[in-house]
Amino acid sequence: MTTLLLRLGAPLQSWGTSSRFVRRNTDRVPSRSGVIGLLAAAQGVRRTDPLEELLSLRIGVRIDQPGQLERDFQTARSLDGSTTMPLSYRFYLADAVFTVALEGDPDLLRGLEQALRSPVFPLYLGRRSCPPAGQLLHGLREGTVRERLETEPWHASPWTQRRHCSPTVGLDIVVDCPADAADAELVRDEPVSFDPRNRAYGWRTVHRDQVEVPNPSYQPTAPPADPFDPMAAFEEIA
Amino acid sequence: MSRTIVDIHVVQTVPPSNINRDDTGSPKTAVYGGRRRARVSSQAWKRATRATFAELLDTSELGVRTKRVVELLSEEIVRQDPVLSGRALELAEAVLTAAGIKITPARKADAPPESGYLLFLSNRQITGLAELAVEAAAAAGEGKPDIAKAQARARADREHSVDVALFGRMVADATDLNVDAAAQVAHALSVHAVDNEYDYFTAVDDHKQADEEEDAGAGMIGTVEFNSSTLYRYATVDVNRLHDNLGDAEATRRAVEAFTRAFVASMPTGKQNTFANRTLPDAVLVVVRETQSINLVGAFEEAVQDDAEGGRVVQAITRLADHARELHEAYDEQPVAAWVFGVGEKKVAPLTELAQRGTFDPTVRAVGALVGDRLAEQA
Repeated sequence: MTTLLLRLGAPLQSWGTSSRFVRRNTDRVPSRSGVIGLLAAAQGVRRTDPLEELLSLRIGVRIDQPGQLERDFQTARSLDGSTTMPLSYRFYLADAVFTVALEGDPDLLRGLEQALRSPVFPLYLGRRSCPPAGQLLHGLREGTVRERLETEPWHASPWTQRRHCSPTVGLDIVVDCPADAADAELVRDEPVSFDPRNRAYGWRTVHRDQVEVPNPSYQPTAPPADPFDPMAAFEEIA
Repeated sequence: MSRTIVDIHVVQTVPPSNINRDDTGSPKTAVYGGRRRARVSSQAWKRATRATFAELLDTSELGVRTKRVVELLSEEIVRQDPVLSGRALELAEAVLTAAGIKITPARKADAPPESGYLLFLSNRQITGLAELAVEAAAAAGEGKPDIAKAQARARADREHSVDVALFGRMVADATDLNVDAAAQVAHALSVHAVDNEYDYFTAVDDHKQADEEEDAGAGMIGTVEFNSSTLYRYATVDVNRLHDNLGDAEATRRAVEAFTRAFVASMPTGKQNTFANRTLPDAVLVVVRETQSINLVGAFEEAVQDDAEGGRVVQAITRLADHARELHEAYDEQPVAAWVFGVGEKKVAPLTELAQRGTFDPTVRAVGALVGDRLAEQA
């Protein structure tokens, strides 16, 4: 099994799977349709082209830094100011970092790695105004999605790691799983077609779990000296 | 196939201001690197950029975003053939319907019908559609004009305006008229943490104050929320996609130049008369790349401290330069070319290690020339 690892991080990202009309939501984790859309953009797949090859990928996401929800209020009007459009609300995930593992045919993954290095269409994290920041590609590895998500180092930003004062950290993961697996959860997030005339999403099943990874910034600290230890002075004499 | 991508990085300080506010009137913010930052949304700055195009480009290269397309098109039909003035509205509606654009009656009585949503058509597309209507009317004589759907669609889908090619277009009920945007604009974020502040104000009633009998109270009181910030702004233009949309190398070069100029020099108009916050960037770095665009916002994930040595701007520019250099080294990234310009020899110095020092206008023209050469090579 070969797996390609990505890190999705940026000041803002937005992964909507249930947006309607003027309220554009975001999920707390990158959606499968969003990730496949990102890969398709890198390959130069048009919206009307078939997605079969990409749909064969098994995708797992690890929440390295959950970020926080940010609401954006937007108005729109025509350039001459004469016509105004309905007010809309867009939701973003600010300050989040995810590790995404893609498992599938090694040739396909090698091609995707190349495509992400030199994408045909501009890449973005769910919304065009959210270009990725920092290192996106983290290389091809052997192993399954789950194995890779268990061993890949924690990609949270240094300040998050420093704030977390224990030697390991438990991170939530969401991984594609067969429909008959135990604990499978049904979500409507399987892209069938990105064709704007006939956008369609099917159902898929995911499994939620947690993995434990080391905290690279953990510094074991000696217990602080007790300033009110009356015996300390005597110990030195003895 | 060789690729050409233009990345524009801007460090810009704005004084107390409320450039872009939310529904409660507060300046927009977002958390980044664990700290709250000032934010100006990408939509706001894109609109300011687009508004500046009118000064930089000929109207034939631009578009209009309006619901009143029937009226607009009928005016053009009458301009082309004044004889048709009595039938222009009907012809305009027929052409638009043939192009797949749904037309609905206007809400106001006696007003011409409108499209169901804001439609973005280039001036050349409007001219083309009007030509088609005039031809059809001439062929039909007094009878009902016959307008071929395929032809109407073709005219609405070629010769996109520069702004449509850069920012894209969505037409809900004629999806084959959609255009994918070639430019990407990120939300501007402050490089440091901010807390919004409140300005309590009173407004004096001049007439009342002049009257000695009246009390001296204010005519109105209120608060305005504001913040001041040093922003990092980032935009990238995919030159190859822009060329796909415009279909012409010379137009693409002009569009890249216009976008660079407009993005750097524009400012959204929010509360500008209250705060007079119009500034120009402290430093601008333009990088032409071959593989992928690179957003350098990571340089500011750790917020710049208020007491930073040399001040925020110096810190921001130094961080930007260090981050760019480190990223280029780590990923063997070799930019094709890079330029920098800004205020203060010493302030901009860190960036001159990565990029050629220049001034605004020559840099924009150099970017345009490089884009033109690279597109010519490819052709």
